[in-house]
Amino acid sequence: MALGESSEALLRALMRELSVRLPVPCGHHEGASIAEPPRVPGRDQLDADKLLQQVEGVPRADDALLVCLCAEDIGNRIFSYFFGRARLDGSAVLVSLARLDPRFYGLPPEEAILVDRAIKEIRHEMGHSAGLQHCLDPDCLMHFSPDVEALDLRGAEYCADCGSVVSRLFAPAL
Amino acid sequence: MSEAAENRGLRILVVDDEDIVRESLTEWLRDDGHQVSAAPSARDALRLVAEQEFDVALVDIKMPRTDGLELQARLKEKAPNLSVIIMTAYASVESAVRALKGGAYDYVVKPFDPDELSHLLRRTQEHRSLRTENMRLKQSLEASGEAREFIGVSTAAERVRERIDTVASTECTVLVQGESGTGKELVAQAVHRRSSRRYNPLVVVHCGALAEGVLESELFGHEKGAFTGARYHHKGKFEQADGGTVFLDEIGDISPQVQVELLRVLEEKAVVRVGGRQTIPVDFRIIAATNQDLEACVRAGTFREDLFWRINVVSIWIPPIRERIPDIPVLANHFLERFCRNMSKKPKTIGADAMEALLACPWPGNVRQLKNAIESAVVLGKDNVIGVGDLPDWVVATADRVRPRTLADIESSHVRRILDEVGGNVTEAARILGVDRGTLYNKIKKFGIPRSADDS
Repeated sequence: MALGESSEALLRALMRELSVRLPVPCGHHEGASIAEPPRVPGRDQLDADKLLQQVEGVPRADDALLVCLCAEDIGNRIFSYFFGRARLDGSAVLVSLARLDPRFYGLPPEEAILVDRAIKEIRHEMGHSAGLQHCLDPDCLMHFSPDVEALDLRGAEYCADCGSVVSRLFAPAL
Repeated sequence: MSEAAENRGLRILVVDDEDIVRESLTEWLRDDGHQVSAAPSARDALRLVAEQEFDVALVDIKMPRTDGLELQARLKEKAPNLSVIIMTAYASVESAVRALKGGAYDYVVKPFDPDELSHLLRRTQEHRSLRTENMRLKQSLEASGEAREFIGVSTAAERVRERIDTVASTECTVLVQGESGTGKELVAQAVHRRSSRRYNPLVVVHCGALAEGVLESELFGHEKGAFTGARYHHKGKFEQADGGTVFLDEIGDISPQVQVELLRVLEEKAVVRVGGRQTIPVDFRIIAATNQDLEACVRAGTFREDLFWRINVVSIWIPPIRERIPDIPVLANHFLERFCRNMSKKPKTIGADAMEALLACPWPGNVRQLKNAIESAVVLGKDNVIGVGDLPDWVVATADRVRPRTLADIESSHVRRILDEVGGNVTEAARILGVDRGTLYNKIKKFGIPRSADDS
């Protein structure tokens, strides 16, 4: 599901890429929406924790993992921002596109970079929802990336150990 | 901290009265690979710290009843090695300064960037790892006996220690006198370690070991091209010791020319490098040592009187070990323990016969010689008790020569030694001694020789 104003072209590109990367049924939950997303008091951000809770409550097929792509920046009262949020063994993933977009850092727009980062972040958060914590292997998708430079440097695939956990849960070929 | 411990992450205690803060932080920190516990109040935090060990406490500064700063002090009392990071929503310099003055490792202002917290925790982990390594190195240094004190139970040893304590806190020049091997360098180290200069270098110069030209360059440094082979400028020992102590060992051996230079440096507290013109101010304290009678050298005209009085502000005289007999068993046991540990041997003791020989030996080489004798005995000794047979021959020979002996003493000692050599076998010992077993039994009884082995 998408939240906020993201271009149709971007969403299509992300869906296409996700379908390639995730050999499990993958579709756009167009009907889903959250009327008034919760905000962090005093800051121009959505409250990641409360929003994730609401996303988890969105009705969908029983075993579906819901990925919410959010155009706005997210944070909470403790952390000034997140790229994404997911609970360990949770049923939903929240990813903000705001800080993945080169324009956030005063750079010209570049959709390929944005898509690449978003796919990495979605799969990273999916790892958490599969029960994985951060991985010590710097090349693994589950390695912690505190900033966007680290996210770019991080590998695009899970390491063998993390990959086996994710594939057991989601699909054998993941 | 070991690599394995680093890989396990930190053991973190989150202390905050707000549920949302505790939950959010706990979840994020666990995702980041740390082991996390959380407490809603200072009281709960103190209870948890009493129950288990933590590496880091993330403490909110503003909490009802006991605030973060007060909790920080109480946590440090209970767990001095705990690294406390204060979280504050109020970015006031005052609270941050108070936190740091109170011993906090650092502080963070809420809301914080994930990368800021991650870097801070990584830095904390590195800091703790270095601190642990430093502690381990210190312990191993002490265990290896390098961090030594002046050991002894005699009145003379006590007097030396008192003098070390008295002069250490002053800035005055100290002259340490004593025969070779009495521990003059050890006294210099002890004075330096107790002084306010202890965090700066103690630079040792063995004056007697260096030729005149070399000594001058070593002490005062030289400029590039000052002499053949001086391809680079070189800082002398006084410059190297800036802020610390220079220990001039065997100062009685320095030439008249270097004595003049040294006197000038001591008076001006500045050096001019060999081949240089610039006067370089230096801050140092001098501890000099000699095994010569410097007053006699002054009278003989080989040592400058003005330099003598300049270095002899306070003197520490270390008596030879033969004049402090009560220290011999203490020192011998100290070296025994150290060498057994260093050589990974089982702890040993010194047998009565061996101790008797050690006490009787005059030790012309003083403590150094005693140390070498014990090292040799630890290397060669096969039993858990060092016997007289394990000591170097010269110790036994010298002890025998100087010790006033009766005929009975000599007979007793000889019987003991032969019994030692044959592992207590009376039959074999009797054969060597040329007496029958009955006679030997009588002598064993008469001299009170302990029976340690089978006599079949």
